[in-house]
Amino acid sequence: MPQKPDTTEIAIVGAGPAGVAAAVTAARAGASVTVLDEYARPGGQYYKQPAHADGGPTYPNSLASNIEQGRELLEGLSHPGIDLQCNTLVWNISADELVLDLCGPAGARALQAQCIILCAGATERVMPFPGWTLPGVIMAGASQLMLKAHGILPGKRFLLAGTGPLLQITAIQLLEAGAQIAALVELRSRTEFLRSAASLWRYRDKLGQGFANLQKLLQARVPIKFGHTIARALGENEVSGAVIMRVDGDGRPIPGSETTLKVDTICLNYGFTPATELPRIAGCEQYFDQDYATYATSTNDNLETSITGILAAGETRGMGGAEVAVIEGQLAGSVAAQQLGFSPPIDQNELFDKRLQARAVAATLGKMFQLKPGLCALVTDDVPVCRCEEVSAGEVRTAIRNGVVQLNQLKPWTRAGMGSCQGRICGDILRQIVASETGLPLQDIQPFTARAPVKPVPLEVVGGPVADTGTLTWEDHVGGYGVART
Amino acid sequence: MKAQRISKIERATPVTIIVNGQEIQAHAGESIAAALLAAGQRQISQNNKSSAARGYFCGMGMCFECVATVDGIPNVRTCITEVAPGCIVDTSS
Repeated sequence: MPQKPDTTEIAIVGAGPAGVAAAVTAARAGASVTVLDEYARPGGQYYKQPAHADGGPTYPNSLASNIEQGRELLEGLSHPGIDLQCNTLVWNISADELVLDLCGPAGARALQAQCIILCAGATERVMPFPGWTLPGVIMAGASQLMLKAHGILPGKRFLLAGTGPLLQITAIQLLEAGAQIAALVELRSRTEFLRSAASLWRYRDKLGQGFANLQKLLQARVPIKFGHTIARALGENEVSGAVIMRVDGDGRPIPGSETTLKVDTICLNYGFTPATELPRIAGCEQYFDQDYATYATSTNDNLETSITGILAAGETRGMGGAEVAVIEGQLAGSVAAQQLGFSPPIDQNELFDKRLQARAVAATLGKMFQLKPGLCALVTDDVPVCRCEEVSAGEVRTAIRNGVVQLNQLKPWTRAGMGSCQGRICGDILRQIVASETGLPLQDIQPFTARAPVKPVPLEVVGGPVADTGTLTWEDHVGGYGVART
Repeated sequence: MKAQRISKIERATPVTIIVNGQEIQAHAGESIAAALLAAGQRQISQNNKSSAARGYFCGMGMCFECVATVDGIPNVRTCITEVAPGCIVDTSS
């Protein structure tokens, strides 16, 4: 099975804002670049393009401009120095030889690079509550993807719940697409919201955008419920309603404050956490990002990680948003090209400055919209915390009472994190619950150990062809590997 | 029907897919999950342990809640897999 790996000068993992910016910058400097992305099309989630070409202009306003921005960035991928490989999952990384293990249309194979830039993006952060596994409860970003990629409204009457600016932006996009919005439920009280807005005074354009969004929602008479949380999703086999509650300063729901809303779709977002599986498998040092209360990949100012030859840009390096991702992508692409002896036609000092400023805004936003520990009160003992293995909060709490304080210990005890999503959804939630039960700071609770394969792949991909199971073939129509069995 | 295709948006060639034996209209480039939602089907899978209904959740191939059997291949993530004319989707197991 071990074939000689393919080679490239710079391998970039992820074709979102950071990865694309890095690829274009490095290619323009003269480097040969291979961009690997798990999805069928480049753009990541933020710059997801319509599934049918040229659908952009008929989209409602706010979506059209996002799609157009993305299209401009993605045009750069046509550079002859860039080899874009979509439908390709990078499922392992070896730091010693800078080799990536891939699973994609060209087969299970390995790619060796002189330099690797990790731009793996982020995951939406959610908190569980009774009924959160019902069809119709979705992540806010998932509703945006339905709109952007497919022009489909994922419901009719919506509740948006969580904290932060994404909820408002999503609400506007849903409204423009013709949705009814029963309410937008923001964890922060009106006072906290205004006080934190004041901390953005230095960044007037961001502040302006924020207020313009709020104004749009108020004009459309969307009820914005500050200092509230979703408390329960109602319905048998799908969502038919929701209960919201007022919260105290810690985010703890106040008994007696329940209001029931008739909705068919609930969109959740409490910010994001960085995707760090590959850098952690590679052994790249991680740091605790206090502003976003999550671990992320450490780098120096040149975006080099602790492992020689591996750089990280965008969310993998720490939550920052698309603007930061593009700047860091350019910087990482330029640094990587320089390491290989090319002279990038780009002013790195200017990028350093832009990056510092954009990171400062991101840090302020992160501090403004952190999760609140009182939300754990909604995760009653009967609520499944690990959705894959249906491990209840009660089972998790029993384990904690028996002395478990780390996620890796919870895993064998409860099976939490052992399902198909490999802890990507429950990992952050479990850390919140352990912290709330034990009083330990979040920083002291380590994430699940990252292991290859980072996402499920057929056994044959990991171990080579298995006898008597037929041949592993790329199934174009399902975008995955299949083994023809007779 | 709760989910709907936004009428103003141009769409690619219509294609027919077969979901649990029934024909469903979709458009080229759409994900299977998108086609299912637009056809009014919100439950896409059921939890292995409790058999509870599950559906489209993260939208980006991360949570594995929208997996179905597609052309005989199990555990296909319908949110990141595009429809192909005549593809056979089974969401019952």
